[in-house]
Amino acid sequence: MQKRNYYIEIEDFLSDESFRTWILSKIDEQGWEEWTLESQQRAKLVEDARLLLLAMKGPYINISSLELNTALESTWAKIEEIKDLKKSTKIKTGRYLKKYWLTGVAATIFFAFLSVGFFKNQLQTNHTVVTYKELVNDNIEGLVEQTNNSNKPQVITLSDGSSVLLEPKSKLSYPKIFTGNERKVYLSGEGFFEITKNSHKPFFVYANEIITKVVGTSFRIKAYPDQPNIEVLVRTGKVRVSSNELVANSDQKNEVVLFPNEAVRFFRCDLSFTKITNIIEDKTLTSNTGKIEQLSFEFTDIPLDQILKTIEQAYLIKIDFPKDKLKDCHLTTSLSDQPLSEKLKIICNSIGHDTSFEMNGNQIIITSQGCY
Amino acid sequence: MKTQFLTTKTYDDHKLWNKLKEGDEKSFSLLFEKYYGDLISYGNSFYRFPERVQDCVQDVFADVWLYRESLQEPNVVKAYLLSSVRKRIARLHERDRVFRKTTTTDSIEFLFDFSIEKELIDDEATAESVFYLNKLLNDLPPRQKEALFLRYNQGLGVEEIAEMLDVNYQSAKNLLHRGLFKLRKEWKGHLSIIALLSSGVFKLI
Repeated sequence: MQKRNYYIEIEDFLSDESFRTWILSKIDEQGWEEWTLESQQRAKLVEDARLLLLAMKGPYINISSLELNTALESTWAKIEEIKDLKKSTKIKTGRYLKKYWLTGVAATIFFAFLSVGFFKNQLQTNHTVVTYKELVNDNIEGLVEQTNNSNKPQVITLSDGSSVLLEPKSKLSYPKIFTGNERKVYLSGEGFFEITKNSHKPFFVYANEIITKVVGTSFRIKAYPDQPNIEVLVRTGKVRVSSNELVANSDQKNEVVLFPNEAVRFFRCDLSFTKITNIIEDKTLTSNTGKIEQLSFEFTDIPLDQILKTIEQAYLIKIDFPKDKLKDCHLTTSLSDQPLSEKLKIICNSIGHDTSFEMNGNQIIITSQGCY
Repeated sequence: MKTQFLTTKTYDDHKLWNKLKEGDEKSFSLLFEKYYGDLISYGNSFYRFPERVQDCVQDVFADVWLYRESLQEPNVVKAYLLSSVRKRIARLHERDRVFRKTTTTDSIEFLFDFSIEKELIDDEATAESVFYLNKLLNDLPPRQKEALFLRYNQGLGVEEIAEMLDVNYQSAKNLLHRGLFKLRKEWKGHLSIIALLSSGVFKLI
């Protein structure tokens, strides 16, 4: 309480809340007035601090309660809107949504036009081949690059929890931490992606001449620099594939929307897309799916060690767990649509509160006190 | 200003935050009402389009609600909110820069000027000193001004300021100190003259 006896700098006073209250609101709960009068030196410091405080009034807007209410309402409306987008169900006319829906649509259209205009201006160059190197060099933020020189797939976990199973002779560049409103990665070669859902931040994979955009799904992209085609094969969710603006003229911009078990093949020579709805009939496509797509992650009352074994096989990782403590645990869960870290999280949560995991490259360690 | 300081009790905020996390809409509204004004005025000091600042602030709150379950509890709720607004505006600014294809690479700059508590000044000598100090304050570089603002107007700790301005603790301390040091040096010269002219400087005492 009497720490103020040791105040020797103006700063000490300025950062004292009760001092500021005394000066600015004239509420003297701690007897500042009296305390100040006790010594001449003190009085001088106090006066200096007072003058400074009077000179540094911050920008403070008075917001009426009406304005505040309107702001709060439109915030709820925003929340509803995002929730609805997430659920991708029909738009419910929520409490506040009704009022702001049109504004929202108008704003969206406006920005859509704005960005179309912008891209048209920006991209008059007309390449026909885009290389991985060009794409990565274009990106100003620092990227981490991982190359798989081994002979089996390698799992990469991105900062948002998404996992990428990178095939041999393939490269992936990605930011250490995703910032901004988008998640962007660059692929050369082949990878299987399982993306953490986040409708706020769409996920983009740039691979040669095409861009694959998702919100949260799993899919495989095959884009080797020395092959004539690029292929995208969807396992879960919805995926949009379009040609990179670097190659497409505005009048031939292509976009293909893919649903589970659909694929698209992009011919790099004439920049055209062929959608493949029956992937089983297409031999080249099915032959290149990896182990992970063939495994089922739907578990009904399955022993835990078996579930973990499936995950080990899918991602080619090692999972260390207390076998004794968990030997009698059975789980029923559906993990198909989840990236690796999410799968582990769900498993740990279902085992019990004392269970957690740690990821260290290819090595996963689960610690647990057993299941309940 | 009064209510601001009286309500900046951190334990209160943590209570609100935790209830909000459990899905309590009332706590969300309370937190919103408590800080909306502060956040708007802070936002306005970076960006000259009030409507978009409002949008940013509302987005920050919307995110808090939507991601409440996965958000880590911040040490200082107010610092977290201020910093989120700052980041969003920096992003807006960045986008503008791309659209206009300008070449400046500066990040956002603190634009506002400190003003004077006119109602609290009742004599001429005080007024003169305060005007002079105010001018000195507003001549400081934007970053020093922002640090001072966050410290003494918003009541944040040095640690939070360091995090917001993306510098280490010592640099944040220096930012604060350098600003006031320069001020005091120039002011001292000025004060001695004033003291001669008027003995009313210490009228308060």
